[in-house]
Amino acid sequence: MPAEIDLQDVHLKFRVRQANRLSLKEYLVRGLFRSSANPVMDVHALRGVTLHVTEGERLGIIGHNGAGKSTLLKVIAGVYAPTSGHRRVTGRVCSLFDIMIGFEMEASGWDNIRFRGYLQGETPRTIREKIDDIAAFSELGRFLDMPLKYYSSGMLVRLAFSIASATEPEVLLIDEALGAGDKNFRAKARERMAGLMQSARLMVLISHDLKAISELCTSVVWMQQGQIRMCGAPAAVIEEYGEAMTARSPVGAV
Amino acid sequence: MRGQLATVWNYRHFWLSLAGMDLRVRYRRSILGIGWSLLNPIVMTVVFCIAFASWLGNGDWRSAAPFYLCGLAVWEFIKHSAVQGSLTFARNESYIRQSPLPLVVYTLRTVLGTSLHCAISLVVAIAAAAILNRDSHATPFLAMGAVLPAAILLALFGWAVTTLFAAANVFFHDTQHLAEVGFGIGFFLTPIIYPKERLIERGLGFVSDFNPAGIFLDVIRDPILTGQVPSMVSFERSFGLTIVAVALALVVLSRCERRVIFHL
Repeated sequence: MPAEIDLQDVHLKFRVRQANRLSLKEYLVRGLFRSSANPVMDVHALRGVTLHVTEGERLGIIGHNGAGKSTLLKVIAGVYAPTSGHRRVTGRVCSLFDIMIGFEMEASGWDNIRFRGYLQGETPRTIREKIDDIAAFSELGRFLDMPLKYYSSGMLVRLAFSIASATEPEVLLIDEALGAGDKNFRAKARERMAGLMQSARLMVLISHDLKAISELCTSVVWMQQGQIRMCGAPAAVIEEYGEAMTARSPVGAV
Repeated sequence: MRGQLATVWNYRHFWLSLAGMDLRVRYRRSILGIGWSLLNPIVMTVVFCIAFASWLGNGDWRSAAPFYLCGLAVWEFIKHSAVQGSLTFARNESYIRQSPLPLVVYTLRTVLGTSLHCAISLVVAIAAAAILNRDSHATPFLAMGAVLPAAILLALFGWAVTTLFAAANVFFHDTQHLAEVGFGIGFFLTPIIYPKERLIERGLGFVSDFNPAGIFLDVIRDPILTGQVPSMVSFERSFGLTIVAVALALVVLSRCERRVIFHL
């Protein structure tokens, strides 16, 4: 079955509390004698997004901070369920979002390779085949025997990227995970990313690096306030976006 | 539902390995390690034998010790399912934010840990009953045969409690603290340090009959201490309670699953 992403009129709405805590006092007082000290904020993060990405395409998503790019990617990944509309994604999805989260800090590097591997759908047999390559790519050596809480941030990035990129995705979703680690490691990481992008049947990439977007993507979507403002060939969309960037633009989609 | 179960099975290595890590990390730097899971109920039982054994009638610690061990095993399992279970989704927030796995995977991580500790405590209780009550007609093998189906029901009930408290704590952050207070009170309303007959004498037998811990104590503690299969009524109560709890947990999970991530 060909890899495909199909979103039809997708809306995503959610409510957040400003301090994001609801205590017993708050629960009892709300709606009684006085207005809440912790009001709810309605967020309409995606407004009627329709998108169709077919096999072989490499879609870039650009836009201001808070435009809904990461939210859209998480809806595609299945992390957020649409409030309304239709979502269908066909193919094995690999998400490279915030690769630094989801570590077990008390466990060793070797254990975390296994945990993250299993989270990405690997089995003990497939992890056994890959674990040495992952360890070699990270260049962490005997540090892999130590708990992650003793790692520097650079070491965590090396480990995270090594694990996350040791996969064979059909649908590859990347949220600004191109920059990783120190200068030496970054060159290796770019090469690995290029290989991943080549092997994936379909890719969606979020980045503020417009040069990378224009080089890597076959089409580009410009998100603004939860909606698709423009969709088309990379050169045309990036040019329009560049001109609009000089204008003042509100952040977020509330 | 079937799709979710298939996903849970396909990703079994993920939640099983995390549950294993939780157990290793818990006792990582301690000398006794997993031995604390044995020592904890034994020490509490010794204290109860000294302080409360006269409440059991004959005051003989040989019959009192298995009584307390069984009660503590069941009580601690239900309590930890609720109190530790409350933190399930908060603990796994980083995974929930990046992976579309069904939330039930994370409840299984919690339940596996609490179930293992309960299993260790029950084995200690059964061994104590077999060693200390040699003259009774109870044998370990008979007790195990009678306890096993009840233990399975208790494990399912524990999963339901974990799920319900985990969901509640996401939307209502005082859940864990209320659970700690509630279980502190509930300890004295449950026949753990005194026999059920003390409640019945005071016309409060219904307190145990409608208490989930009391219902499971009837089907787990009684066969261990007496070696006899519990009554059909007791089994029906525990079975019915488990079915209701699991059904409620499944309904709550399906209704709130899409919203949990926005409240973490």
